[in-house]
Amino acid sequence: MTMKRVLATLSLLACLGATMAASAQVTTLDFPSWQAEEPGFAEWWKGLVQEYEAKHPGVKVKLYSLPFANYVNQLTVRFSGQNPPDIVHLPSRNFASFASQNWIEPIDDLLKGSDIPGQWSKLQSDMMWQGKTYGVLLLPYGNLLYYNEKILQDAGAKVPTTPTEWLDAMAKTTNRDKGQFGLVTTTAEHPNMFIDAATWVLGERQDWLKGNKYNFTDPGVVAAVDQFRKSLSYAPPGTNSAVARQLFIDGKAAFLRDGPWVWATLQKAKPEVRPALKMAQLPFPVITGGASNSLHIPAKLDAQKKKLVWEFIALAATPAWQEKYVQLTGSPAGRLNMINAEQAKTDPHLAAITQAAEKAENLFPTQPALRENYNEFATLFSRAVVRMQSSTQPTDAILANLQKELTAAIPLP
Amino acid sequence: MIGRSRWTGYALLAPALAAVGFLILYPLYLVIATSFRQGKTLNVLRLSELPFGLANYRTMLASEATWHSVWVTVVYLAGTIGPAFLIGLGTALLLNRAFPGRRWLRSLILLPWAVPGVIVSIVFLWLLDGSFGVINALLRSAGWLATDLAWFANEDTALAAVIVPTVWKAYPFFALTLLASLQSIPASLYEAAQVDGATHWQRFRFITWPGIRAPAMLAAILNTLWALREFDIIYLTTGGGPDRATETLAVRIYQEAFSFFRMGTASALGVLTMAMAVLLVLLSMRTIRREYF
Repeated sequence: MTMKRVLATLSLLACLGATMAASAQVTTLDFPSWQAEEPGFAEWWKGLVQEYEAKHPGVKVKLYSLPFANYVNQLTVRFSGQNPPDIVHLPSRNFASFASQNWIEPIDDLLKGSDIPGQWSKLQSDMMWQGKTYGVLLLPYGNLLYYNEKILQDAGAKVPTTPTEWLDAMAKTTNRDKGQFGLVTTTAEHPNMFIDAATWVLGERQDWLKGNKYNFTDPGVVAAVDQFRKSLSYAPPGTNSAVARQLFIDGKAAFLRDGPWVWATLQKAKPEVRPALKMAQLPFPVITGGASNSLHIPAKLDAQKKKLVWEFIALAATPAWQEKYVQLTGSPAGRLNMINAEQAKTDPHLAAITQAAEKAENLFPTQPALRENYNEFATLFSRAVVRMQSSTQPTDAILANLQKELTAAIPLP
Repeated sequence: MIGRSRWTGYALLAPALAAVGFLILYPLYLVIATSFRQGKTLNVLRLSELPFGLANYRTMLASEATWHSVWVTVVYLAGTIGPAFLIGLGTALLLNRAFPGRRWLRSLILLPWAVPGVIVSIVFLWLLDGSFGVINALLRSAGWLATDLAWFANEDTALAAVIVPTVWKAYPFFALTLLASLQSIPASLYEAAQVDGATHWQRFRFITWPGIRAPAMLAAILNTLWALREFDIIYLTTGGGPDRATETLAVRIYQEAFSFFRMGTASALGVLTMAMAVLLVLLSMRTIRREYF
């Protein structure tokens, strides 16, 4: 009996040992992303991971989802705790604050050995910080106008071509008693509010900055923000971007301003709603857009892992995977000319997103102090938007106060 | 002999003291040391490179936002502890009576206390949603509300909206503590009072309250300290907004540290919060001494 026990224990230990030895040989690359479960993007990431793992026996990519609302803050906590992910996926607007902390690795040497510098969107320049390149841009985009054709027809409204027409259409299509809104957008305090406001301000050829100074009190800026403020009155209050998209997909809103990535999500709409959901260019003289998200290598990663992460990025940047990116996500890829003329003809939505991305002007601040402190800038901005929503204070007074707050918090050199 | 046993005692205590020192005193030292480092960084290894001084304290004390956060914290504490105590007391008095299904109900009332803050936040976010929330639907059908009121996104209602889920989560602790003490009061006292013709209020005032006062005070102090560091419900429902309406000290510390990278200012605010907690404990020391020692 005792002998049996000894043998059983030894067998168990042998099994454990074998398992541990096997797991010791596997290198795991930690990879959180807010897109890991997003329709379209999830398929692309999972396919990419699968091919990468097949080409790299003994390497496992641990891809998992983190909610976008807290994504940057969660990554910030991980970096500050010296526990960064191995593959760093960032919203590009926040990348400068990570680069300024020396948390991510310059990749100029690695880029020299690739075709990325010559074959990439001009917005790849957004990956520069203090003269060095810190990442590879995945998605350059132009903002788009999504609309519900049925709601517009029922209300006798048409697809707008000017900001005034858009506001009129929002007014006609809002029916709160029916739970129907002229617009769905972020109305709960969130840095995303800056993107919505910038669509109106930069779209109307105005600018927050004049030279190297804040320009929030300029009459042109005030007038554009006033229009933006008016648009918020047609939207459901207290909504974040995820809820806004869901309401649009559920057929409860006439308009949604968003990036091309929403197109893949629209496929989740109910069959009776889906045919009515359409896409058009935004009704502004200037189309706003920017660098959406990018891949980076964390600083101080050991040489072996650094090589593995770069190989992952390089695989993602190959023409084959960039083409798949466009097909699966319905969004423009970082690599140029991934949609040919033939595809653009047969797929009008791809043509629309390509057109928007080509025309788009960067809506994110390029001033280094604002790039470095983007989160604080956008947070202060969103608080001003909340004041616009919940008070009767004139827009110019709210913007003057914002300018004062920004001047104190983020002085421009 | 006495000296030897004293050293043995210290030796036996040493592992526990070392653990306490490592887990409590070292982080405390780190927070205080960081609060004197001026500048912007999140890299703990680079903190010592920053200049040393009192600038963070000067900025913090001169900032209107700090005193706003202190005020929001005080209102949040008062708004949470008072109602949670009263609901807990009412529930305890009810559950102390004999009625069918009492045992089941005792277990059920504990449920909110066990539910994670994240779940509580999601439930109340939907209940109080501006356009599709049940509460607004009820208020609209009763004719008390004409517009879509986003409770968490409106400056005037946001603080009340975060207090409600906190109270819902906090009251079972009061109910449980008070119920335990109610059960230790001899029934003969109530019988004697009834014979003497005492009213319900007189019985509560002269028998029940003296019987539960000590645990009630302790529960109130503990809950106040817990509410002082409450973060998850507030952050998940409002993120401290709208326009700082729910920005308690705990939320502001997080914002300063992890959104704006001002670790020094965040640590100085942490020291201020600790000072508030110590002040609360000192103020309640007299009551604790009177009740327990």
